[in-house]
Amino acid sequence: MVDVSCTINGSRQTLTLLGHESTVDVLRDDLGLTGTKLVCGSGVCGACTITVDGTPTASCILPASSLNGTEVTTIEGLATNGSLHPVQRAFVVEDGLQCGYCTPGFVVEAAAFVDHWRAEHGNTDPGSHIVADALAGHLCRCAAYPGIDAAVRSACRGEHDDISSPARGPRVEAVEKVTGSARYTTDIRLDGQLEGVIIRSENAHALIRRVDLAPGVAAGASAAVELLGTDRTVRYVGQPIAAVAGVDRAAARSAAKAVIVEAESREAVIGGDPRARVLSRPIVHDGRAARRRAPISAENPLVPARWIGNRRGPSTIRWRGMRAVRRIASARKKGDTRLVELHVATSVQVHTPLEPHACVALWPATDRLQVWVSTQAVHHIAKLIAKHFGLPRENVEVIAHHVGGGFGAKLTLTAEVIAAVELSRQAQRPVRVVYDRAEELSVGGLRPATDTHIALLADAAGSLRAMEVTTHADGGVSIGSTVAGLAPMVYGRSPRIVRDYDVLAHTPPGTPFRGPGGPPLAWALEQAVDEMAITLGEDPIALRRRWDGNRRRHALYDWADALPAWRARHDMVSAGRFRRGVGVAAANWLYFVDPGSEVTVAVREGQIVASTAAQDMGTGSRSVIAGAVAEVFGIDPHDVLVEIGSSKGPHGPASGGSRTTVSVGPTATEAAMKLRQTIGDGPVTPARLAGHEGATAKAQRGKDKRMRLTPFTIRDLQVGRGFSGAVHVSEVEIDTHTGKIRVTRVWGGLAVGKIAVPALARSQCAASIIQGVGFALYEQRHLDPASGAVLTANLEDYRIPQLGDSPEITIHFHEEGWDHVPGGGVGLGEVATLGVAASIGNAIRHATGWRPLELPVRPDRVLEGLR
Amino acid sequence: MTIITTFPENLDDASRSSDATSEFRLGGTDLQARLRRGTSSGRIVDLTRVPGLVGVRDLGPDGVEIGAATTIAAVASHPLVQTRYPALALTARGLATPQVRAVGSIGGNLLQKTRCWYLRGGHACFKSGGDTCPARTGNHLYGVAIDQGPCVAPHPSSIGAALLVYDTIIRTHTRSDRPVAELWGDGSDPTRDHLLGPDEIVTLVLLPRVPDGERGGYFRSISRFEAEWPLVEAVVRLHILDGRIKHAGVAVGGVANTPLRLPEVEQELLGELATDGLFESASRAADHRCRPLPQTGYKAALLGATISEALRRAAG
Repeated sequence: MVDVSCTINGSRQTLTLLGHESTVDVLRDDLGLTGTKLVCGSGVCGACTITVDGTPTASCILPASSLNGTEVTTIEGLATNGSLHPVQRAFVVEDGLQCGYCTPGFVVEAAAFVDHWRAEHGNTDPGSHIVADALAGHLCRCAAYPGIDAAVRSACRGEHDDISSPARGPRVEAVEKVTGSARYTTDIRLDGQLEGVIIRSENAHALIRRVDLAPGVAAGASAAVELLGTDRTVRYVGQPIAAVAGVDRAAARSAAKAVIVEAESREAVIGGDPRARVLSRPIVHDGRAARRRAPISAENPLVPARWIGNRRGPSTIRWRGMRAVRRIASARKKGDTRLVELHVATSVQVHTPLEPHACVALWPATDRLQVWVSTQAVHHIAKLIAKHFGLPRENVEVIAHHVGGGFGAKLTLTAEVIAAVELSRQAQRPVRVVYDRAEELSVGGLRPATDTHIALLADAAGSLRAMEVTTHADGGVSIGSTVAGLAPMVYGRSPRIVRDYDVLAHTPPGTPFRGPGGPPLAWALEQAVDEMAITLGEDPIALRRRWDGNRRRHALYDWADALPAWRARHDMVSAGRFRRGVGVAAANWLYFVDPGSEVTVAVREGQIVASTAAQDMGTGSRSVIAGAVAEVFGIDPHDVLVEIGSSKGPHGPASGGSRTTVSVGPTATEAAMKLRQTIGDGPVTPARLAGHEGATAKAQRGKDKRMRLTPFTIRDLQVGRGFSGAVHVSEVEIDTHTGKIRVTRVWGGLAVGKIAVPALARSQCAASIIQGVGFALYEQRHLDPASGAVLTANLEDYRIPQLGDSPEITIHFHEEGWDHVPGGGVGLGEVATLGVAASIGNAIRHATGWRPLELPVRPDRVLEGLR
Repeated sequence: MTIITTFPENLDDASRSSDATSEFRLGGTDLQARLRRGTSSGRIVDLTRVPGLVGVRDLGPDGVEIGAATTIAAVASHPLVQTRYPALALTARGLATPQVRAVGSIGGNLLQKTRCWYLRGGHACFKSGGDTCPARTGNHLYGVAIDQGPCVAPHPSSIGAALLVYDTIIRTHTRSDRPVAELWGDGSDPTRDHLLGPDEIVTLVLLPRVPDGERGGYFRSISRFEAEWPLVEAVVRLHILDGRIKHAGVAVGGVANTPLRLPEVEQELLGELATDGLFESASRAADHRCRPLPQTGYKAALLGATISEALRRAAG
């Protein structure tokens, strides 16, 4: 034992420690300072940054014993006398955040940097490079980097020193997030709460002969449950087997070690060429029952398909398919130069939201259940929990006030929820289960790897004559990938056939990831179109304009074509060590809506309150609702109280499929207008509101003016009429000596109609571009080919973009063409990322003459490609 | 497992508290991460209360000594290091993140465990008591290109490469001074991160006096902006007089089981006019050492490019 005396946020503390503790755990668990977040646990991401004697320090790797005699400031102590630090104000005003989970760390470090900078250089702008260098120890998975850069630089210029008015920016909950008071699921701590851990398979494939929980209980577990499926077979390393709860994480972990798992190891299929995997053995899902239980990586229900061995498919879409096949075969035979064929591949990309999967379950003695979940779908998860545990839906409340990112990984009922609820039921105490970073990076969710063969044939006039696309997707044990199936939505009406196969392996399952299937499809299709433009000697934008009949995208082509960087691309340097190039890619996406969405707007305690069972994972749903309601009443959005993040509210949409804004925005407007009728026109004064205390109005999203593609709703989702569109133009610089690629500038044009909250929409679109840069250049999950274990189970080896990797970004909105949709606009979170990697690929081709086929385009691949 | 941490207040007690299963801790930047992952031994001997291990001291004609517990950030920003040993200052400035540099010590950097994703993922290997290297037969994309022995993980110490070019001496509290290269030997023992005994504690590093006006260069090849383990890194010191190279020191990291000094490259540089052309040709003199693994062939190409860029930066 060792006694440590220090000052934390101005108050003296004496801590009695064992000596090995890390500071972040002492702050969060012992002192309740949960503004400091634990993310990577290895000093890479900076979410846990505090200052020790004024120096920013990653508290996850700082021994707490080192605090002796020091003065510590956490995010909670940054404001002085109730006034925010100028950097906190800057992050609010410039919107340097999305989900907010990395924000406390960024803010603490940036405050120290800005104070130091201004003391040395006065109120001058350090420029982006110096800011990125100072913040190199921080990662933001949402990639709110442009706002962070703007916030730090404007704070350096002294633009946020005025404390006479409250800090307000485009995001209504920003102050909570920059002060560390926003509570996430990982921050919940109830009386008597236990900590649960999941015992996972060490085998890629095994039959679990026996699970003996008793030794775990003897070793101190307060509760222990099995999590195996009925076939008692595990099919990937990390598959849940059991879970135990203890008084703290250490107790739970030692109890977990005592649990006996007898696994009969079986041969496993891991990696290898997916096209060859049909013949691999053993079969991952053998028999109809096993196939029915296969996890699904798609959001949409599956169309039945054939299985042969470890291959499922093809799921085929064709229009004069045989003619397409014949034309392409004949062109290949004749050596037709207007046939473009590419064989491309993409790697497994991992969501890794900075708030990991987390759940706190409280199962009281009655049949009522309260569950805090880090989820993108409070309403949907409540339904799933009720069904899974046989409870009436109204007895289940799912709560998620703030969600630290999701990107598609938090849409379903996953192991942490089942484990926490089961353990809580057994222990009759609250139980928290939080994935550690290794779990999050291994089994927390992924975008399947893909292997795509694409053939495009043009006729003498340069029109598209035939298209054939075949994708083999590797989503581990999961099925349902659609990549090639998205190809027919984009260009022309020529004969075409597209086929999607799933190839199975004993590796973790895929889950929906921002535009599922879209980025891999664009990587194939948009590079093939680019190659066709080269083949035909035509401008790539001009070719797309001929092939693409979409009016809204034509407006974007006009915009892209007029960009000075596009116009000047023929003058770029294409010799010497550093090569520069520009590439373009287009994309479109479906318009999804949850027509059952409801919003209630009421006057309560003199304030206007809007409620719905939606959630905000950083996409800005709260601000969209506040903005819609505020506009009707002519008040500031910050004066609307938005109640989301609880399944007790009226039916709300999931935050997935770019559906949230288009589902709740117009609905909030309609409900507000109904309430407006009740309380009358004119200024909304406190007296007027007091006179209507308790007045309530409710609206449901309902139908669009014209019919939808799907006349019925599946899983609260309808596909509406029209495609959202995007065009991306990227500029790259390539160091041909070291293979390093820098994406220097990106222009993103979006045709999604009217924009609800422009500042937040821009932030989403810029972040989508930066995530696209990660997909293009850095992100790759690596497996051990022998054991099937994930090797990139930390944020050093799994590489996500840093602030310094952000290109200079320009966003353009084409706001016309969506008059049939209430509110005049549709979702943008997915379409904004689909074509980014492809535009970078085309820029690399333009710069070097070499076309990258495999993602990510790592330095070694560049060196190999240019050799 | 109960983790026992002791806080000795002098070197002798520290030494006595240590055995083959314990680990010394200074900044703790790596040990705390491994504790969380459950891949540390569980006995910690914390050296932060041992006096006299911190600081940069000018020894005049005998050079400069740096206490083992001096932080990387303090080394990077020390005026004496910046003016006399610029390659060390640049290396210290270029590694890890600002937060790690603020806490991590120079001694800890020299003696740190390899970053191999198998070792850190809890796989059995030579360094965790096993008798195999799963990376050699498995995924070794970031492994060595100069194959010195059974373990294929590159040594992670950037500071080590910098100290090599300055002919640095290390001092431990029990044995006589020795060249820093002897910390690692030839890299053929796959079970060791360094060759110190379990009770041996590095107290300081001693950099001999260098001629005034020397230049330094550091470059790491990575895929992103910063804060990434090097694919290949190079440290260079140059003494250029009237355009000609009077003295050169070149060392590399990221390619072998130890940081490596490259006298053959230095030899190519000596007495020559400092030009980009010379840098490119001289930097290829180490190519003969490369025996890449199936997935690390690119590092052979990157080695010359990285050295050459470090040379350019030193001369520029």
